[in-house]
Amino acid sequence: MIDFVNVKKAYPNGTMALKGVNLHIDEGEFVFIVGHSGAGKTTLMKLLLREEKISSGQLIVGGYDLAAMSNFKVPYYRRELGVVFQDFRLFPKKTVFENVAFAMEVVGTPRKKIVRRVPAILNTVNLAGKQDSFPNEISGGEQQRVALARALANNPKIIIADEPTGNIDPKMSLEIMSLLVKINKLGKTVIVVTHEKNLVDYYKQRVVMLKDGLIVEDHVGGMFQ
Amino acid sequence: MRRYNIFYFIGQAFSGLWRNGVMSFVSIAVLMSCLVVIGGFSLIVKNIDLNLEQFGTLNEIVVFCDTEATEEEIVAVGEQIGKLDNIASIRRITKAEGLAQMKAEYDVYDDVSEENNPLPDSYQITYVDTEKVGELDYQLHQIEGIVKVNNRLDLATSIESVKSGVMLIFVWFLAILAAVSVFIIINTVKLSVFARRHEISIMRYVGATSWFITLPFIFEGIIIGLFSSVIAYFAEWYIYSYIETMVMADLQMISILTFAEIKTTVLLGFIALGVVAGIIGSSISLSKYLKS
Repeated sequence: MIDFVNVKKAYPNGTMALKGVNLHIDEGEFVFIVGHSGAGKTTLMKLLLREEKISSGQLIVGGYDLAAMSNFKVPYYRRELGVVFQDFRLFPKKTVFENVAFAMEVVGTPRKKIVRRVPAILNTVNLAGKQDSFPNEISGGEQQRVALARALANNPKIIIADEPTGNIDPKMSLEIMSLLVKINKLGKTVIVVTHEKNLVDYYKQRVVMLKDGLIVEDHVGGMFQ
Repeated sequence: MRRYNIFYFIGQAFSGLWRNGVMSFVSIAVLMSCLVVIGGFSLIVKNIDLNLEQFGTLNEIVVFCDTEATEEEIVAVGEQIGKLDNIASIRRITKAEGLAQMKAEYDVYDDVSEENNPLPDSYQITYVDTEKVGELDYQLHQIEGIVKVNNRLDLATSIESVKSGVMLIFVWFLAILAAVSVFIIINTVKLSVFARRHEISIMRYVGATSWFITLPFIFEGIIIGLFSSVIAYFAEWYIYSYIETMVMADLQMISILTFAEIKTTVLLGFIALGVVAGIIGSSISLSKYLKS
C-alpha cells in the first residue's frame, strides 16, 4: 500500500530532513509514527500528502508514484486519502454538515447521496445531532471528530492523522484514538503521527520511530521509547 | 460520480460573498469608487473633446469678389468654388448683407448707405479637411473675380494642436487613473483571498482541483464587478445630471452631452470594466495559493 524506498528529502536551505527512509505499510495496518521535534515526522507527512516532493528514492502510495506525479494529478491522489490535522482545519463559516459535505462536493458527488451519507458518517463519529452547529459552537474533541468525519466522507483507503490529539484534552484524545482504531478495524490503513507516549503505549500498535531523519525503530505492538 | 454544476459554483460564490460580508462590501465600495472616478474623468474628456470639436467647425475661409464685378460674374465665382474639392459648404454674403452685419457690430458704419456701400460681395466657405486648407487657399486664389482670400489656417492649426495636447494629457491621466484603480482593486481582492487562505488550503487537502477552487472566486469577482458597476452607474447618473443641469443653467457657452445620450455606453463600459477588474483581481490573487 505504502512504500518508502531509500527516501531522502533535502530542503532548499540545505536541511536534510529525511536521510534514507525505508518503510513498508500494508493495507489495513495501524501505524504510529513517533519521534521528537526535528526527527522528520512533519516532512514524512508532507511527502505522503504530496505537499513536498522527495529529493531521491521512491515513494509509492496506493499505486501512485509520488515522485513522478504531475501537479495536475495531485488533487485526484489526495482524494484517495483522508487527512486529519492537529488544528482541525474546518471551515469556520460552514456548519458541521457543510464541512463534511464539502469533501464530497469536491469530487462531484450528487446532492442526494451527500444528504444520505453525511448523517451516517456523523453518526459513526458520534456527532449525530450536531450537524447544524458551527465549529465554534462545539468542543475541540467534537471539532476533531468533524475533521475525522470529513476524512471518511469519500471512503478513502488511507487515513493520515497528524497529531490528532494535540489540541484536545486527554479524555477526548482517548475517544479520538478509539475512533481511529475503530476505523482501522473497518479495513482502512491508518497512520498516526504523534509524540504522545501514553497513547502510543496504551494502544500497542505498530510503532515507527524517527530520529534525525532516519527510522531507528519499527516494532509491531511496540512502545514509545 | 463527477457531476459539477455551474449553479453550484454560482451558489458557492454568493455564499462566499455573504459569509465574507465585510471584505465583499469593501471590494464593491472600492471598485465602485474607481469606476465612478474613471467614468467621471472619461466624461470630462469626452465633453472637452466635444467643445474643442466645435471650435474646429468655426474654421472657414471668406473670399471677397471684385467690387466692380457684375452679378453674373459673382454667381460664376460661386459656381467655380462649388466645384472644388474639400468644400463642405458655401454661402454667399451679398454686399447688402455684409453692410447690415457691419452696422450691427460697428457704429462707424451708421452713416454708410446702400448707395455708397464700399463692401464687396463675399462667399463664406467651410471645408472638410483642415490638412488640405493650403491647397484650397491656392485654388481659390486662381479663380478670376476673387480679389482676397481670408483663411483662418493659423487659428485652425492652433486649435488643433491645443486639442491634441489637451487630449494627450487627459488620456495619460485616464490611463494612470485606470492603472491605479486596477492596482487598488487587485489588492482589495488579495486581502479578501488572504483572509480566506485557510479555506483554500483546506480545499487543496480534500482534493479540490485548481479550477474547482478558482471558479467560485471568479464568479465572486464577476458578481462584485456587476454590483459595483450598477451602483457606479446610478451614482454617475446622479452626479452627472447635477453637473449637467448646473452647466446648462449657468454656463451656456459650454456644450455638454446629456446623460441620456451616453447612458448605454456608460453602463456597458462600467459592466465591462467592473467584471474584467473582478476577474483579473480574483485570478491574480488566487494564483499564489494554488501552487501544489
